[in-house]
Amino acid sequence: MITLENIELRQGSFELSDLSLELASGEYGVLMGRSGCGKTTLLEAVCGLRNIAGGRVILGGRDVTQLPPAERGVGYVPQDRALFPTMLVREQLAFALVLRALGQAEIAGRVDELAELLGITGLLDRTPDKLSGGEAQRVALGRALAHAPAVLCLDEPLAALDEELHGEMCRLLERVHCETGVTILHITHSPSEARRLAGCHFRLADGKVARDENRSCA
Amino acid sequence: MSGSKPSGFRIASDKPFLIGLGVLGGSYLLIIGAMVLADLVFLNYSDRPLLGPEMVKQGRYTGDEVTVSVEPSRGYFFRKGKNDAGLQLGEQHIASDGLFRAASGEAVLLSHASGRPITASLRPEARVLGIAVTNDVATVTTDVAHGLLWGEFIRVSDAGEPGWDGVREITDTATNQISFAVTGAAKQPAKLSLSKPNPLVQALRSRDIRFSIKLSLISCTLTTLLSLWVAVPIGYMMSRFEFRGKPVIDTLLDIPIVLPPLVVGLSLLILFRYMPEWLSDAVVYKWPAVVLAQFMVACAFAVRTMRVTFDQIPHRFEQVALTLGCNRRQAFWRVIMPQARGGLLAAGTLAWARALGEFGPILVFAGATRQKTEVLPTSAFLELQAGRTEGMLAVSLIMIGAAVVVFIIARTLGMKRIFA
Repeated sequence: MITLENIELRQGSFELSDLSLELASGEYGVLMGRSGCGKTTLLEAVCGLRNIAGGRVILGGRDVTQLPPAERGVGYVPQDRALFPTMLVREQLAFALVLRALGQAEIAGRVDELAELLGITGLLDRTPDKLSGGEAQRVALGRALAHAPAVLCLDEPLAALDEELHGEMCRLLERVHCETGVTILHITHSPSEARRLAGCHFRLADGKVARDENRSCA
Repeated sequence: MSGSKPSGFRIASDKPFLIGLGVLGGSYLLIIGAMVLADLVFLNYSDRPLLGPEMVKQGRYTGDEVTVSVEPSRGYFFRKGKNDAGLQLGEQHIASDGLFRAASGEAVLLSHASGRPITASLRPEARVLGIAVTNDVATVTTDVAHGLLWGEFIRVSDAGEPGWDGVREITDTATNQISFAVTGAAKQPAKLSLSKPNPLVQALRSRDIRFSIKLSLISCTLTTLLSLWVAVPIGYMMSRFEFRGKPVIDTLLDIPIVLPPLVVGLSLLILFRYMPEWLSDAVVYKWPAVVLAQFMVACAFAVRTMRVTFDQIPHRFEQVALTLGCNRRQAFWRVIMPQARGGLLAAGTLAWARALGEFGPILVFAGATRQKTEVLPTSAFLELQAGRTEGMLAVSLIMIGAAVVVFIIARTLGMKRIFA
């Protein structure tokens, strides 16, 4: 569950105030809005990467407003994916698990499981510069899912993909959502993409988050 | 899939890491700031009178008080020591340093406790009796010998006939006369020998130059390690954090780059006058001074390089690492530093090369003593001064060799990317 209560954000002259949003546990939420309206900023606030000037962030019934990103239990896939250039795909997937000091066998098992889910088993020993756009997106998704977060934040995950890959990734996201039961907050500026994906639709415009009336939450 | 829910996952606090960054970076900033401040504070901006020899016997207090006879209505300069409270002349009490006019014929040094050493000084003002110029030599006569001023400059002005007004260095203080030549004398040209050994072999066989090669290599390596030790945290802080006073720190960091290197050396020398004695004794004119002088300049370049390096690594990597369960220290070491490896090597190479060529600050701050503080540029300078151009060239060739090695390393590590 994601609950945002009266969030206030300030960055230079850019300002958003009194933002509220509610997404039930296990739902797929799509947040739309024009470029530059503050979608990414809001997502960063959910992840704890940006200080909020006011309001509360509640994830899974826990008030995480004061917690560092690491303790919030979120997975984050930024728009540029930000795969660690010095690590193999296998190491990227294991990164969060190594930090949690899990045993080697457990980590290896979890990495294989993730790779299978995302269809990247053949890529495990590559470095990020040897991956195509779609492959990199899958790895970034896998890295964010590794520590089994309750909430997954996706920042325009399909923006740079061609038509064919686009459909494929949509299906993959739906599958991931279905199999892991993770609550997803997905940002996009494309209404067609939002239509393609099932779930709850929100629109960020004029400094307010509105629940899209045309679609109801499942 | 959601079997191992890490709801109770806790990370270590970021505080030690941030404090560590601040302390490491702050130490360098502190030296720069103190250096500049010491320069400003050091000078006594007014002309001071020419003073005679010390009148208080340095040593231990035997009784409670030390009495010195003085000449009434004459000017005296008093400098208070660590163990005394001031000077008493009848009714007149002198509590602070400075020039005063004696009111009575007897000055009593008031001590805090007996048995402690005297460090105070009392010196009479020297009055100019006359100036004479004969055979291009000017002679200024004073009424007392002019004390402990060897090497200092005086200004003679407003004297009787024949008048002279200017600034001259004192080279003789035992008498009450100061003499200096008004025009320079010609020197004998240096004699050349007819057979000469290979200068490079000669240079490498010289114990002095072998020492200076060794000292150069060791001090440059030390300087490089120190520079990286400091440049990484400063570069990271300046690249990643916004804080109050950042523009000031930015300016402070550029000071060693924009200052003439010689001035950096001088500033360090002055700064160490304010340091505890054991520290300045251990550093000034010894090998640590060589390292410190190199460090002050080289580090500024390393800081710039590291900052550019970190600027080129997007914040996104850290952000993702933070959501994955890193604290800031882990994000830095696991994600950022592996990517900064090239920049780190480039910064190290640059610092090493700067340190190798450093001359001005070392000359001022560490001196140019053979077998003690002589580095390669100093050797080149000393060889030139001794009239041995071949020797200088030989030393220069050694440095060119080192520079070529550094250049090759820098090229292969892609320093071009950073300075393009």
